[in-house]
Amino acid sequence: MSVHIDSPTDSTAILKELHLSRSGTGDRGTRVATMNFIVFVDDPAHRVWVLLRAQVVAQKHPCRLIVLDSTSATTGVEISAATRENGGATIVNERVQIGVSTLDHGKIINLVHELTVPDVESILWWSGARLLQSRTFSGLANNVATVLVDSSGKARGEETIRELGEFLSRFPSVTLHDLAFMRLLPWQDMIAQFFDDPALREDLFSIQALEIESGSDAEALYLAGWLGSRLSWEIAERDAFRDRSGHTIPFTRTGKGDQRRVQSVVLRSADSTYRAALAEADPHVVELSVEGAQAKPVRYVPLQNIGNTSLIERAILENARDQIFETSLLTVRELLG
Amino acid sequence: MATEVTARSQGGAANPLRAGLDSARISDPCTIVFFGASGDLTKRMLMPAMYNLRLGDVLPTSFAIVGFSRSEKSHYDFREEMKEAIDEFSRTGPAKDPLWSDFADRLHYIQGSFDDADSFRELKRQLDENDEKLGTEGNRLYYLATPPSVFAKVVQQLAAVGLGPKDQAKGWSRVVVEKPFGTDLDSARALQTEVIKVFDEKQVYRIDHYLGKEPVQDIMALRFANVMFEPIWNRLYVDCVQITAAETVGVEGRGGYYEHAGALRDMIQNHVINLLALVAMEPPISPHADHIRDEKFKVLSALRPISEDQVPRVTARGQYGPGLLEGKPVPGYREEESVDPNSTTETYSCVKFFIDNWRWADVPFYLRSGKRLARKHSEIAVKFRGIPHRIFGEAGDQIETNTLVMKIQPDEGVSIRFNAKVPGPKMHIRGVTMDFNYGTGFGVVSAPAYERLIADAMRGDATLFTRWDAVECAWEAVMPILSRWQATQSVDFPNYLAGSQGPQSADALLVADSREWRRI
Repeated sequence: MSVHIDSPTDSTAILKELHLSRSGTGDRGTRVATMNFIVFVDDPAHRVWVLLRAQVVAQKHPCRLIVLDSTSATTGVEISAATRENGGATIVNERVQIGVSTLDHGKIINLVHELTVPDVESILWWSGARLLQSRTFSGLANNVATVLVDSSGKARGEETIRELGEFLSRFPSVTLHDLAFMRLLPWQDMIAQFFDDPALREDLFSIQALEIESGSDAEALYLAGWLGSRLSWEIAERDAFRDRSGHTIPFTRTGKGDQRRVQSVVLRSADSTYRAALAEADPHVVELSVEGAQAKPVRYVPLQNIGNTSLIERAILENARDQIFETSLLTVRELLG
Repeated sequence: MATEVTARSQGGAANPLRAGLDSARISDPCTIVFFGASGDLTKRMLMPAMYNLRLGDVLPTSFAIVGFSRSEKSHYDFREEMKEAIDEFSRTGPAKDPLWSDFADRLHYIQGSFDDADSFRELKRQLDENDEKLGTEGNRLYYLATPPSVFAKVVQQLAAVGLGPKDQAKGWSRVVVEKPFGTDLDSARALQTEVIKVFDEKQVYRIDHYLGKEPVQDIMALRFANVMFEPIWNRLYVDCVQITAAETVGVEGRGGYYEHAGALRDMIQNHVINLLALVAMEPPISPHADHIRDEKFKVLSALRPISEDQVPRVTARGQYGPGLLEGKPVPGYREEESVDPNSTTETYSCVKFFIDNWRWADVPFYLRSGKRLARKHSEIAVKFRGIPHRIFGEAGDQIETNTLVMKIQPDEGVSIRFNAKVPGPKMHIRGVTMDFNYGTGFGVVSAPAYERLIADAMRGDATLFTRWDAVECAWEAVMPILSRWQATQSVDFPNYLAGSQGPQSADALLVADSREWRRI
């Protein structure tokens, strides 16, 4: 059961109600706070999607969840404390959902500062449309250990990735995670598998073309950036790399299929074509094939279905900076010009 | 934690795309041979584990599985049988195409007797074919999912047909041996002698699925990733340690095996003593398998020997009679299938050990394990000494000693029992419990023990497997008890009710020390 208070800026009243809500749950004194989980949402169409996932993560990781709802769906503040019995212990999760659409950035930042549990890490999941252009984002990012964004999807584009690149230099002490990049891990692994065979590895250094089909831009860009940074490719021009021998590698990206999903990746060397593509029979399986001089029998591998909630959890648990992600991001930023 | 540098890790370093990917989870290309492929273990545990490793993308690109057993069947029959097993027992549900077909293409079956060299020659031919056609590069993992009586024979046959590691021109060979490793100290040593003729100790993976459980590994993290416990983790502060592995199940159709095993062999000699080693060992210098196993060996070799004369004073045993579990009547042990109606096999055993070293001198370690007990419950409880001086007057009488409990199953976690003041004007003090639960703390589901252990063996990581010196120490520790119990067969069996806390003699063991068991 939640309690409503009208004033979204009265942090004393919010904390008092939070305490009362916790007592009302029959809290027997066991309260494990692993983090402050701050979630910002401003897209009405995306709001429920974000809030549901935030709630699932919050239930699994005892924390104080602070939802900053910048849509008009929340007015005032909703406060609740939920309990979960496990192994004889009562785990209490606290949730404060604040309507912030009418608040300026200074008030939001102050409010969050006053509501966070001291001495535990704060993690910001920012699903707002703007990043660095938002003073709220910049202010909140200053006070957290980790920022989590998703540069993929309909409302996102190349500009988001450019901003993330800028974020790295402006916030060097904050760990940045992008769900769009994290989602690509199974694809990276599958592409790497082609070249685990030492007999094929040389081909990796003579790639002549890269083609990626995906439902949104971020996936294709990140995969290209990852390959480029791993193989020390330079940027030749927009949508083209140059390998260490000076050969140009055209990069073709084609919009196809659902948002946030990769459909296929094709690497062409001088005499072979390496292709990883969703299997027709099962979209959760990838067909790996090598044709040409290095031809191999077709293989099927499971596409590790990493749910968004799991990715968010991973971002929370792996709180170290990801150098591979950061170099990939910087490569993409350069590629986009 | 890997103990061997694998071919993959060498080659992987040269693949620039592998940087940052969790490639360590994937082993070298290899073939796994399951001896005892028609048995229950293969169907219920091993093959579902392999399939789930495949789904988890933990298996290498080039892998193959060969089932070896006496039953006559074709490759096709074996694949069908394994599919049925996966459909029934896999935690991820039924196998589906196209992944199943891809997996099934790598399954082969050799029908043969463990006495028959020709069958092993046929196995060799299949393995060579896998190397050539499936790219398994001469790497072999032999898994002995057979009755212990044929372990030595299988190993001898492997060597006889040139499948031993010493005959290998390329690749590696490892052997996974299921427990029990021997039925007593002599048979264990005899088996070790045979095994070591063919495989180096580093190539032998003695599996104890208990050690693959996440909470068992959490003990290491709790002890060695925190500073606050170490200063009090010794005889100055610890009064006693109680290790419990309680089951509610009976022998579950394994009466024939259990009649010859009993609780001491089945649980105390391996699972429970391993827990003792983890909780009592000194900090290893690194997480490297041998560094951890060195420390385990050291602490086990410091177990104070129990003479046969001392056995009645430091042990208790029991056998369950009929009783009630969760309100339902259950039969006594002697009424179970394949059990002698006059059986004297113990289904409960407890032992008091001491560790003669600087850290633990005179601290008793009470170990107990039993079937058909009140609750399925495994834990390690470290009970601390009382406070040295009471300042709270009468209320001080209610002050409990502190206890730290590492809960292994179910509800894996850690709890600490300490004293707190009851709110109010008077100084009333009572014990309270602070709990940490791994499931809710991290929200991450860990893989079942067999998946973890098979993957580790494929990768060459022996951390969670038991080295011979530890096995030998454990047998040495329990042998006087086995001998005494064998010589003086208990006449009061059955002596505890199914669904109870165990026999009274077990309670008496602690009462004599002015202590009591934690309730199961």
